[in-house]
Amino acid sequence: MSSVTGDPALRDPARKVSSRAIAYWTTTALVWEGIFLAVLVVVYLFVLPDRWWWATVILALAVAGALVEILVVPRFKYAVHRWEVTDTAIYTRSGWLNVEQRIAPLSRVQTVDSEQGAIQRMFRLASITVTTASAAGAIEIKCLDQDEARRVVADLTEITGRDEGDAT
Amino acid sequence: MTLPPRDDGRDGALDTPPTGPAYDLPAPQAVRDREWHRQSPRMLFIHPVKVLWSMAVPIVIAFVGIRQSADTTWSVRLLPVLVLGALALGVIPWFTTRYRFTETQLQVKTGLINRSEKTAPLDRVRSVDLESPPLHRILGLARARIGTGVDESRVELDGLAREDAGQLREYLLLRGAGARGAQQTAARSPGDASLGSEGDVPGLQGAPGAQGSPEPGLPPPPPAQRPGPLRPEEVLAEIDWSWLRFAPFSLSSLVIVATALGVLFQFGDDFGVLSQDRVTGTYEWVLAQALVAIVLVGLFVLLVGWLVVSTLNYVLQWWNLRLVREPGGTIRLTRGLLTTTSTTVEEARIRGVQLTEPLLLRAVGGGELTSLATGVGTGGTTKLLPPCPRPVAESVGHSVLGTGERLLDPTGDTPRDPGTGGDGRLDGPLTVPVRSHGPAAHRRILVQSQWATAFLTGVAAGLTWWLGWDWWVVAAVAAGTGLASLGLGELSYRNLGHQLTPEHLVSRSGALQRQRVVLERAGVIGWVVRQSFFQRRRGLADLLATTAAGPEVVTVANIPLPWALELASRTTPTVVDQFRSTGEEP
Repeated sequence: MSSVTGDPALRDPARKVSSRAIAYWTTTALVWEGIFLAVLVVVYLFVLPDRWWWATVILALAVAGALVEILVVPRFKYAVHRWEVTDTAIYTRSGWLNVEQRIAPLSRVQTVDSEQGAIQRMFRLASITVTTASAAGAIEIKCLDQDEARRVVADLTEITGRDEGDAT
Repeated sequence: MTLPPRDDGRDGALDTPPTGPAYDLPAPQAVRDREWHRQSPRMLFIHPVKVLWSMAVPIVIAFVGIRQSADTTWSVRLLPVLVLGALALGVIPWFTTRYRFTETQLQVKTGLINRSEKTAPLDRVRSVDLESPPLHRILGLARARIGTGVDESRVELDGLAREDAGQLREYLLLRGAGARGAQQTAARSPGDASLGSEGDVPGLQGAPGAQGSPEPGLPPPPPAQRPGPLRPEEVLAEIDWSWLRFAPFSLSSLVIVATALGVLFQFGDDFGVLSQDRVTGTYEWVLAQALVAIVLVGLFVLLVGWLVVSTLNYVLQWWNLRLVREPGGTIRLTRGLLTTTSTTVEEARIRGVQLTEPLLLRAVGGGELTSLATGVGTGGTTKLLPPCPRPVAESVGHSVLGTGERLLDPTGDTPRDPGTGGDGRLDGPLTVPVRSHGPAAHRRILVQSQWATAFLTGVAAGLTWWLGWDWWVVAAVAAGTGLASLGLGELSYRNLGHQLTPEHLVSRSGALQRQRVVLERAGVIGWVVRQSFFQRRRGLADLLATTAAGPEVVTVANIPLPWALELASRTTPTVVDQFRSTGEEP
């Protein structure tokens, strides 16, 4: 298929999420990995008193995995998670190994939700979920600055409210 | 109760009255009187029978069980109680169910303790399905399911007299179409931005309905303005009993037969034919022969049973099949020998069709046709045709889509594939050759298919090590699954392809069961480009077109990334092009 508009690649969405997202993701990872490692260590120390070599290996791997999850993954997430809202469409990109790009025309948007968990509130972050009439078409922008999220939701609601029809 | 001034359209139905909405049919009595109605009294017979039927097994078991215990007089006393209880239980729904039509909606109240009231806005009615199970048919009744465009929530109206149900169906569908026509007119006029036009139809200057089958795929079709007589219905397909030859090639009935046979063998076991201790002893040889015979007979019975059951099933389901395009812009399917069903979908709601060819059916040149529609309940698909010759499915599919498209590339380029009709010959999305995804996709699919081999070989190796089998087992498993997976991978590569016609996106996929999904361009409501790590290495991607119809997503798997973006961009240029990296974009 000959290209009509030249380079066929999709460019990156224009905007990044809030930089506080790194701190937020690190915190949640710390909490969950902390619980996970605590359980493993208790099992290792008290349930498996023989200290088999393979148990040690598993524990070491788990620690290494947790370190990656806490120190590396949040930064990567921040680097790859991008979004953009234009007058006619919303476009996001996420994923590091498995990359996913999602586009939805605003004329087909049905609901615009924003969520804010307890830890997210501490970091003044909020996530936005935009759904269309397709179950496969939901688009999520994770961890925006909460004021920005509020603005985006207001804008989206305003734009999508202009359209008539039932968006199918 | 006040009756608003309202033309019931009995005489001047085809003119547009200055005040009232112009509907082409007189409203049925039940709609006009605005009173609460009960189901037909004949339902007083159906409900208890249904309850008795559903309780038949427990009753019989209880009866037999008690019979076998010592005190029999007790059971004789209990039985009438059970039956009377069932009858009473069965009568309750009739007393608790009421429905009425108001100016704008249908209200149905049900339930004795948990009361529920469902409403359906009349101007949003998108589909009305009628069904008459055998008992309903004997008593001249029908059950209606009314869909209002919102998935999964359909209002059920049971116990209508058959003629009333028919009238109601036509009335509701035409009224819905009329409301939509008016709404579109309103939307078209500048300055009128009210969304509420759906809710207050009685005040609308009536457009007599979006008649004249709108071309799907084009942006919202202009409602036909002429108030002239409606076009007669157009028959798209009728049952042809030569299609019956395709019945045995659908595997779904094989499952039924196999289950039945399994149950039979269970009983055979009880009779002791297959029990171990019989095989030993003097009759050992004879019985061993008998075992072979039984297996052979079993296979034979399976085959014959399959033929009979599948054919019967086909006849029962598809008797009197008629697929028509109705004046109000709806597609109606009627079928059924014992249980008659009528399914109606508004044509504009049909966003595409799917042609499914299971392996066996494909081998004999048959296919099945389903539609992808919004607001038709579970799964979003409705059957359009039974297994039938592929050319029939294709041409009916095209007439449902309203196309015999000219295969001209919308952008003016000719497709690179040889034979995809740059000559502009008449062709359609169901017949057009698809474009294969190239060597990178081929390699990836073949490599990916070997995951199954690796897994099964691993399992075999583990078992061999654990149980001390011979190591050739592992080799055999690896070779066998490897070859099988390669074959499947090759098949799925050959079936994989996509195409874009002037109005439709076409995606073909599947290994053993091949399906071709045709989705209206206007039905695409978003895109997902997904690349796994391995796909990125080969420059491939999965392109997902999201839609409200059918399974809600159409996947074009393992397509080279540039092609994917090209395809998305051509399907919906206004949405995608702004995100492409070249051009004036910063």
